[in-house]
Amino acid sequence: MTVTGTRPLDKTRPAPVTATRRRRLTERQSKAFAFVVLTAPMLIGLGVFRYVAIGWSFLLSFSEARRTISLGNWVGFDNYRQLLSDERFRDSLTMIVLFTALIVPVTFAASLGLAVLVNRVKRGRAFFRTAFLLPAAVSYVAAAMIWKMALFSGVPSGLANTLGALFGVDPTPWIQTTSPPLYWIVLVTLRLWLQVGLYMILFIAGLQAIPPHLYEAAALDGAGPWRTFRSVTFPMLRSTSVAILLLMLIAALQAFDEFYAIFSTGASLGSEPVRTPLMHLYGVALQDQDYGVGSAGAFLLTLLIVLVTLLQGRILGFSRAGDKD
Amino acid sequence: MSARSALSRRGFLGTSLLFVAGSAVACSSNPQGTAAAKGAKVTLTQWYHQYGEEGTQAAVKRYAEEYTKANPDVAVNVVWGADTSQYETKLNAALLGADAPDIFELGDFRAEMARKGQLEPLDDIYGSAKDGFNQADLDYLTVDGKLYGMKTIDDVMVLYYRKSLLKKAGVTPPTTFAELVDTAKELTTGGVKGLFIGNDGIGDSPYLLAWSQGKDLIDGDKVVYADAAKSIGGLRDLHSDKSVLLGFTTDWYDAGAFTQSAAAMQWCGLWALPTIEKALGDDFGVAPWPAYDKNGRPVARLGGWTQAVNAKSKHKDEAKKYLQWLWIKQTDIQIDWAVKYGFHVPPQTEVAARTPELSKGAAKDAVAIGTKNGVSFPAEWTQAMQAGFIAAAADIAKGAAPEKTLEKAQAKAQSDLDKQMG
Repeated sequence: MTVTGTRPLDKTRPAPVTATRRRRLTERQSKAFAFVVLTAPMLIGLGVFRYVAIGWSFLLSFSEARRTISLGNWVGFDNYRQLLSDERFRDSLTMIVLFTALIVPVTFAASLGLAVLVNRVKRGRAFFRTAFLLPAAVSYVAAAMIWKMALFSGVPSGLANTLGALFGVDPTPWIQTTSPPLYWIVLVTLRLWLQVGLYMILFIAGLQAIPPHLYEAAALDGAGPWRTFRSVTFPMLRSTSVAILLLMLIAALQAFDEFYAIFSTGASLGSEPVRTPLMHLYGVALQDQDYGVGSAGAFLLTLLIVLVTLLQGRILGFSRAGDKD
Repeated sequence: MSARSALSRRGFLGTSLLFVAGSAVACSSNPQGTAAAKGAKVTLTQWYHQYGEEGTQAAVKRYAEEYTKANPDVAVNVVWGADTSQYETKLNAALLGADAPDIFELGDFRAEMARKGQLEPLDDIYGSAKDGFNQADLDYLTVDGKLYGMKTIDDVMVLYYRKSLLKKAGVTPPTTFAELVDTAKELTTGGVKGLFIGNDGIGDSPYLLAWSQGKDLIDGDKVVYADAAKSIGGLRDLHSDKSVLLGFTTDWYDAGAFTQSAAAMQWCGLWALPTIEKALGDDFGVAPWPAYDKNGRPVARLGGWTQAVNAKSKHKDEAKKYLQWLWIKQTDIQIDWAVKYGFHVPPQTEVAARTPELSKGAAKDAVAIGTKNGVSFPAEWTQAMQAGFIAAAADIAKGAAPEKTLEKAQAKAQSDLDKQMG
């Protein structure tokens, strides 16, 4: 600890000069000053590292940029055309839409179910909450390595194969088996393990905001557990559900980490049975150095996410004011 | 608002400014770099990818320090980088920025980099020493008549087989692809699979199959790999027999599957030979990838690492002199680098010939296979072409029609090549 000569008390007493100068600033001005000083670093950072980069990338998407990020060689919509005519990219778009359509309901049901169960536990609720949330703190890549090398490796000593051996099943290369596509078991279990906990916490927060008197009324009316869930819990969770659904949709459409970590063979990509749009774009932009086409792909994917989000808003509404009454 | 809170706010501001300044200072010094020697006028930055073998990082730093000892004006800041899978991506990103390295390694040499003006021609530092280099390496690094890189090690990739297991099964090392399929099937018993070519069951085999049928990937300015539909179609047989090992914990470039007896034959590099020898003694042999049929030819893949000078470097001349000193003149260092940390072949023929470790046993056989049967990737090959080609082969292994699948991928690769040649 550093000991300075001045006592803290002395510091708090402003020198007369400072006091007069301070008085010239009205409270309003000083608030505005504080606002600017405190938010400026964040805004400048966002501006430089996000929005300038996004703008630059947008311009790059109309430019031929192989092994360079300088602009100037304009090619109009060629990059977009080239990408959309690439069958591997189109396949990846189809794949991600199907994947989203399947994984989102599953994740939603699993995290809501878990939230309801954990919320009903009388003893050790905090323990269960923490236990289910913990995986959310694990990095996707680290978890993917565990899934790939320990749980679902193709050798007889992998956990899945050890369990299989108890029932007389031959060792199976889980990730490499394409008919039937066993790799989906690996991908889906991994994603659920990583994500369900976080969404569960959000649902629990929503559940705890439901006024208990509604449940009392429902009980008086003779509603069973399923009827209570359908007519009280689920409708009251509307705005939470809509927000969570939105997060899940975006997370699913942007899937990359675990797909890449599970399927990459060390040297490069290519032999993976399914690839997400981001995996394809990673190859195009970062491995093959075609920044023009890569940027075009980033904007196509953004467009897809915006469309899906708007569609969801159209069908379900973004969180409605009606929830509050 | 009390004066107390006003002051503490000012204190907060001061502290945060100090914090920002502190982190700016911390970020601007290179955390990976080694300390440059004092008094040097020029500091070169040299990038290596992360070699897996123990002692490699210390070795390259030692070489750099020896150079500074002999040339006190020039210090070399060695940056030890990412592993093979991420290295090229990071290097490419760095080459676009202001902090680009002066000298760097390339795993697969890309002619496109030379054509785009990213690499400095090195003909003048080769000088008369050029004739002493492996001709295949020189051809590989020549773009439009100029040499753009210097091989530091040649890697030979061969088929390792367990002598005892082959003997037990009553088979000999395969000499045709049909024999390879049969042998792999014969050798598959219980926990042991016949062949390991990669966790995905594909690895480099599509290249080897094409070459072993006598076909090329690129011929002049045409992509021609669809001609090899017959041999690449063979992947289907290899996979339907369930005799290839899939999903092991380490991949084909590590000898793990072979030394742990998970596979009786494995495609791997000469670099792993010391590890294999240590684990299995003399119970192993090496062979080239068999000829596809009697009209084909046995092949081995030639790889290795190349060093190049950044054309935008401010110290091109110093960088070139350093490369000349290290990879042409310092033959002792070259031998140390080639055989003390896994086995590789020095690219200068005369140096390779007097490397004792490579002149006996299986290592000698592997070097001979490399000289006789070695094939490199074409320098025009890109990662996109690789991804398309491997994806097509993976589809074929799953049962897609070989001709159609390869032709589709080939058309895409052709448009990439046309763009590259501009």
